[in-house]
Amino acid sequence: MSWLGIALIVIGLFFLVVGSIGMLRLPDVFSRAHALSVTDSLGALFVLLGLAVYEGFNTNFLRIIVVLGLIYLLNPVIAHATVRAAYRSGLRPGKGDDQ
Amino acid sequence: MRILTAVILFALWLVLSATYDPAHVIVGAVVSALVAWLNPALPHMRRLSWFAALAYQPWLFGRILKSGLHVSRLILDPKLPISPELVRHKTKFTRDGELVALGNSITLTPGTITVEVAPGELVVHAIDEESRKDLLDGSFEAKIAGVFAATEGER
Repeated sequence: MSWLGIALIVIGLFFLVVGSIGMLRLPDVFSRAHALSVTDSLGALFVLLGLAVYEGFNTNFLRIIVVLGLIYLLNPVIAHATVRAAYRSGLRPGKGDDQ
Repeated sequence: MRILTAVILFALWLVLSATYDPAHVIVGAVVSALVAWLNPALPHMRRLSWFAALAYQPWLFGRILKSGLHVSRLILDPKLPISPELVRHKTKFTRDGELVALGNSITLTPGTITVEVAPGELVVHAIDEESRKDLLDGSFEAKIAGVFAATEGER
């Protein structure tokens, strides 16, 4: 069981690294938000799932599942609030941050 | 309905506190009841199709995984082949619950992110052509309509 947990955590770390690379490579706030959604939707998911499996079935397992549920509800709200703020303050995609 | 809210809150309390001596459990029960009593009941909740809502989760996860891998490939590609664009996405949804479910699902899926929400129309930022196509095929709407089907006619 612990190997499955470790494997899931490594997969999650891969997505966290990819998301961070995307954060550096992508040109503006809108496309960077996509890198962020890779980090949160897949990176955090696999890392937390791996931790849950590693932990085995006890109250910590349940807590991790609750955290996962909250991330899936709240993360899109935060991403949306960020890009909406960028949009309303006049930023448009494809021009870079220093248009 | 408020009893259900209280029960859910209490279950959350039990999971998070994980201390089961009488003092903690009683405080949890009182606080859950108080919060459920003070807050207005959530509209629509009792008429949701819970089965469809449950079935929606693995489907959504499949979409997230597929587009997550796609966006990862874009990011790691040395040429960075993105073509970001804002899309006006018409939808038949006008009520809050449906719009929240749709907007959240779109944002949760890597490659598309909801920028503005209004009844009947979303402004969505898509990172490339494939993400745009995924959005346009309307499968999000079809699935979410199933979840809210029972609330139809309550406008």
